[in-house]
Amino acid sequence: MANLGTFLILAAFVTASGAFAACLAGARTRRPSLVQGGIGLFHVITALLLVASSVIVHAFVIGDYRIKYVQHYSNEEQPLFYKLASYWGGLDGSLLFWATLLAVFGSIAVYVNRDRYRTLVPYVAATIAVVQMFFLFLLVIHRNPFETFLTTAPATGEGLNPLLQNFYMAIHPPLLYLGFVGMTIPFAFGIAALATGQLDDSWLKAVRRWTMVAWLFLTVGLALGALWAYEELGWGGYWGWDPVENAGLLPWFTGTAFLHSVMVQERRGMLKIWNVSLVITTFFLTIFGTFMTRSGVVQSMHAFGEDRELALMFTGFMILLLTVSFGLVIYRLPLLRSRNELDSIASREAAFLANNWILLFSAFLILFATMFPTLSEAVTGERLTVATPFFNKWMTPVGLALLFLTGVGPLLAWRKSSLENLRTQFLWPVLAALVFTGGTWALGVPLWGSAICFGLCAMVATTVAQEFIRGASVRQRTTGTDLFTALVGLFARSRRRYAGYIVHLGIVLIFLGFAGNGLERDEQVGMVPGQQLSLPPYTVKFKALTVTRDARKQMITAELDVLRDGKLLTSMYPARWYFDGRENEPTTEVALRRGFSGDLYLVLAAFDVEKQMATIEARINPLINWIWFGVGIMVIGTGIALLPERALSFATARVPEHAVTTTLLLFLIVSIGSTRLRAQHIVTPESAIIGAPRSDLEREIHKEIICMCGTCGRKLVGECTCATAAAMRNEIAALTANGKTRAEIIDYFVKKYGSQEVLGAPIDKGFNRLAWLFPYAVGAAGMILAAAMAFRWSRRRDEDRAEDRGDAGIEGGTPTMAARDLEARLDDELRDLD
Amino acid sequence: MTKKTSRALLSVLIVGGTLSVLLARSVREDSQFFKHVDEVMNTPDAWYGKKLQLHGFVVDQSISWVPEKLDYRFTVKNGDQTVNASYTGVVPDGFKDGAEVVLTGKLTPAGFVVAPGGVSAKCPSKYEEQKRAGR
Repeated sequence: MANLGTFLILAAFVTASGAFAACLAGARTRRPSLVQGGIGLFHVITALLLVASSVIVHAFVIGDYRIKYVQHYSNEEQPLFYKLASYWGGLDGSLLFWATLLAVFGSIAVYVNRDRYRTLVPYVAATIAVVQMFFLFLLVIHRNPFETFLTTAPATGEGLNPLLQNFYMAIHPPLLYLGFVGMTIPFAFGIAALATGQLDDSWLKAVRRWTMVAWLFLTVGLALGALWAYEELGWGGYWGWDPVENAGLLPWFTGTAFLHSVMVQERRGMLKIWNVSLVITTFFLTIFGTFMTRSGVVQSMHAFGEDRELALMFTGFMILLLTVSFGLVIYRLPLLRSRNELDSIASREAAFLANNWILLFSAFLILFATMFPTLSEAVTGERLTVATPFFNKWMTPVGLALLFLTGVGPLLAWRKSSLENLRTQFLWPVLAALVFTGGTWALGVPLWGSAICFGLCAMVATTVAQEFIRGASVRQRTTGTDLFTALVGLFARSRRRYAGYIVHLGIVLIFLGFAGNGLERDEQVGMVPGQQLSLPPYTVKFKALTVTRDARKQMITAELDVLRDGKLLTSMYPARWYFDGRENEPTTEVALRRGFSGDLYLVLAAFDVEKQMATIEARINPLINWIWFGVGIMVIGTGIALLPERALSFATARVPEHAVTTTLLLFLIVSIGSTRLRAQHIVTPESAIIGAPRSDLEREIHKEIICMCGTCGRKLVGECTCATAAAMRNEIAALTANGKTRAEIIDYFVKKYGSQEVLGAPIDKGFNRLAWLFPYAVGAAGMILAAAMAFRWSRRRDEDRAEDRGDAGIEGGTPTMAARDLEARLDDELRDLD
Repeated sequence: MTKKTSRALLSVLIVGGTLSVLLARSVREDSQFFKHVDEVMNTPDAWYGKKLQLHGFVVDQSISWVPEKLDYRFTVKNGDQTVNASYTGVVPDGFKDGAEVVLTGKLTPAGFVVAPGGVSAKCPSKYEEQKRAGR
C-alpha cells in the first residue's frame, strides 16, 4: 500500500507539470484542444490525490504501522475519530492533505468557471498547477508520508499527543487549511487576469465568492484554535501571540482588507493595483505562514524542529512567487490605472482606504514582531524577542481604530458626504458611543481598552441597527408589506451589504469579549478538603481529591462545590489526566461553568494525593463566551452573503405577502424547541439533585457509566442531572444493594443498551461533543428545508414579480422628503453592488 | 510634483514617522534577550537586571516545590552551565524533569527569578521534532 501511495504522489507531480505545460501552451497559442487536455490533466491530479489520501486514511484505520508516519501518530487504542484526525496530525501528512484540498478546490473553481471565464481558466489552472507542483515536490523528495521502516516495523504506534486528542484540535487544522488553501484560488485568478490583461472588474466577480469562503474557513479555524487553547491548555487565555497563531492571523488581515477594498473597485473603479496586490499578498502570507511554522526559522513554543532543507525550498518558492506576481503587476501597470480619484476625506472610499491601511498595518506589525527575534539576530547577532505585552500594547489601539471605522464607514456616503447627511447619520451612533463609554467608565470599568471598547461596540451596533431600521421602513412603505418581509426584502435586494452588517454585529460581540478581558480576576489557593477559596460572587469549596483510572489513563480529579450567596450552585471537577505510555505529559482538564456574563474557570494547578492537598486556580473570565457567539454570527452573516442570487428572491415577490413572517415565526418556534432540548443541562443544573452514592462501588460506577437519555451529551451518570440519569443511578443503587460486582453491573448495562455505548471510557470527548452538535444539525436541516420551500414559492411567482417591480414606487403613497432621499440613496447604492 | 501627491506624501511621512518612532521605543521597552543558560552564565555579571528569556533544560530531580504556595525551585541547564531558578505560580503541563523550557524573568546574584507566568515549556505540537520519528 505504501508503494502505491508513493507512486500516486509521483504520478500527481508528473500530471501537474503536464497540466501546467498544456494549459499555458494551449492558452498562448490559442489551441482549445490543448487547453482541454490540460484541464483534463488538472482534474486527474485531483483524482490521484484523492486516492493517495484514501490510501493513507486506510493505513490509519487498519493500523499499518510499517508506515513511519502512521506509526508515529496513531496507535491501537486511539478512537477511530482521532485515527482519522492523525492524517493531518504531522508535517508530512498535512502537506499531502494540503495538496489534496488544493486539488479539490482547484477542480471546483475550474469546473464552475469553465464557460464564464473561458479565457482566464487556462491560466488559473496553470497557476494552481504550479503551486500544486511545489507541494508535491516537497512530498516527493523531502517529506513522503508513505515512507516505511526499512527494518522490522514496531507492532504498535506512538499515538497522537494526548493534548491534541480533543474535538476542536481535530477539526481546527483542516478548517484552517481550507482557509489557507482557499486563498490560492483568488490568487490564481489574479495572476490569470494579469497574464491575459483582462483587468476589468470581471475577475473580481469570480474571486469575491472564493475569497469569502476561504475567509470564512480561516475565521472559524482561528476561533476553534482559540477555543481549544482556552478549554484544553488551562492558562485561562485563548490567544498567546505565538508565531503559529500569528501565522494564521496574517492572511486573515489581508483577506479582510481585500473583501472591503474590492467594493471600492466595483463602485468607483479605484484601487486596482491595490486589490491585485492584496490578493497576491494574502496568498503569499499563507505560504509564508506555513514556511514560518514548519521550518524552524522562528523560535516557537510549538516544537516544530528545525528543517533547513524545507526552509530553503520554501524560500525558493516564495522568491519565485514574489518575482513573477509583482513582475506581472508592474508589467500591467498601464492597465491598472484608476478610473476615479478620491473626492473627499468624508467619503466611504476614504473610510475603506483607512480600514485597509490599518488592516495591512496590523498584518505587517504582527509579521515584524513575530520575525523580530530572527531579524534582530541577523542584524545585531543578539536574539531579542518581543512578547505578549508588546502585541497587546499595539493591537489594542489598532483594534479599537478598526472597530471605530466599522461604525463610521457604513454611515458615510460614496464620493462625498454632505454636512446635513453627516448630522442625520451620526447623531444616534455617536450618542450611543458617548453614553456607553461614560456609563461603563462611571461603573468603574477602566477607560482605556474596556470602556472605550464598550462605547465603540455600542456605536457599531447602533449603526447597524439604524441601517436596518431605515432601510426596512423605507422598503415597507414602498412595497406595503409587513416589517419582516421588508427586512428579508432588504437582504434580497442587497444581500452582500446587509449580510456584511451582520458580520459587523458578530465583530461587535467579539470585541465585547475582548473588552471583558480587562476585567478578569483570578485566585490561586492551596487547600485540603473542607477549605474554600472565595472569588466573588463565588465560593469554591474543596471536597476531595480522587484518583481513578479507565482503559487509557489515570485521572486525578478534584471535587469542588461552587457556592453563590451561600447556596450550592454546582459541583465542578477540574482534573489532570495521565495517559498510559505518556505519563510524563499530563493534560490539564479544565472545569468550566459557562455563562453570558462570564465563565468560572477552575484548574487543578498542583496536587499532593497523600496529603489530599490541591492547589486550585480559580478564574473569572467575563464576557468571554461572546467571542465564540460573535464568530457564530459572523458565520451566519457570511453564509447569507454567499447564498446564491435567487435564494432570497421570494421576499421581493409580492404574492406570499406574509409568508415570510409566517416562515420566520415557524422557524423561531422550531428553534426554540431545539434550544430547550439542548438547554436541558445549561439552564437548570441545580434542578435535579444528585444523590450521594452510598458505597465506593456506586461512586466508581457513577464515573464509568454515562447517561443514556440522548440529549445531555453523554455526561457521566454521576454528574448528569436529567431524569434518565436519576433512573439509572437508582438502578445502580439497586444492583449494588443486591451484592452485584462491578463487572456484573457493567455487563448488565452493556446488555441492556445493546452496546458498549453506555461506557464512558472508550468513547472519547470528541464524540461527546458531536452529540452536542446534533441539535444544530437538526436546526440546519430545518433551515435548508425552509429555504427550499421559499425557493419553490418564489419560482412560481416569477411572473408576478416582474409587474411588482413596476408599480412598487407608486403604491407606497407619498413618502416624505427624507424617506425619498434615503430610498434614492439606497437604490443608488444597491444597484451596482450586487 | 502636483499639490495632491505632495500632500499625500507628507501625510504618509508624518504618520509613518510617528509610528516608526513609537514602534522603535516600545520595541526597546518590551524586548527581551533570548539567551541560552550557558551564554548567560559564562558572564553572569553582565546580565544582572536585564530582561531575559532563558532557554534550557530542567535538570532531573531538581524540582522542589511547596504545594500550598506554588513556590517552585529548580535548576536549568544548557551546555555545561546551570542556574538555579525560582518561580511562584502555575506551571504549564509540560513542565517536568528534563523538559525544555523558556523562562522569562531577571537574573540576580541569587539565581534566576522567573516573572509571573514566565515559565513556558515547549508546547507539544503536532510537528514534533524529527528525532522522535527516526527512533
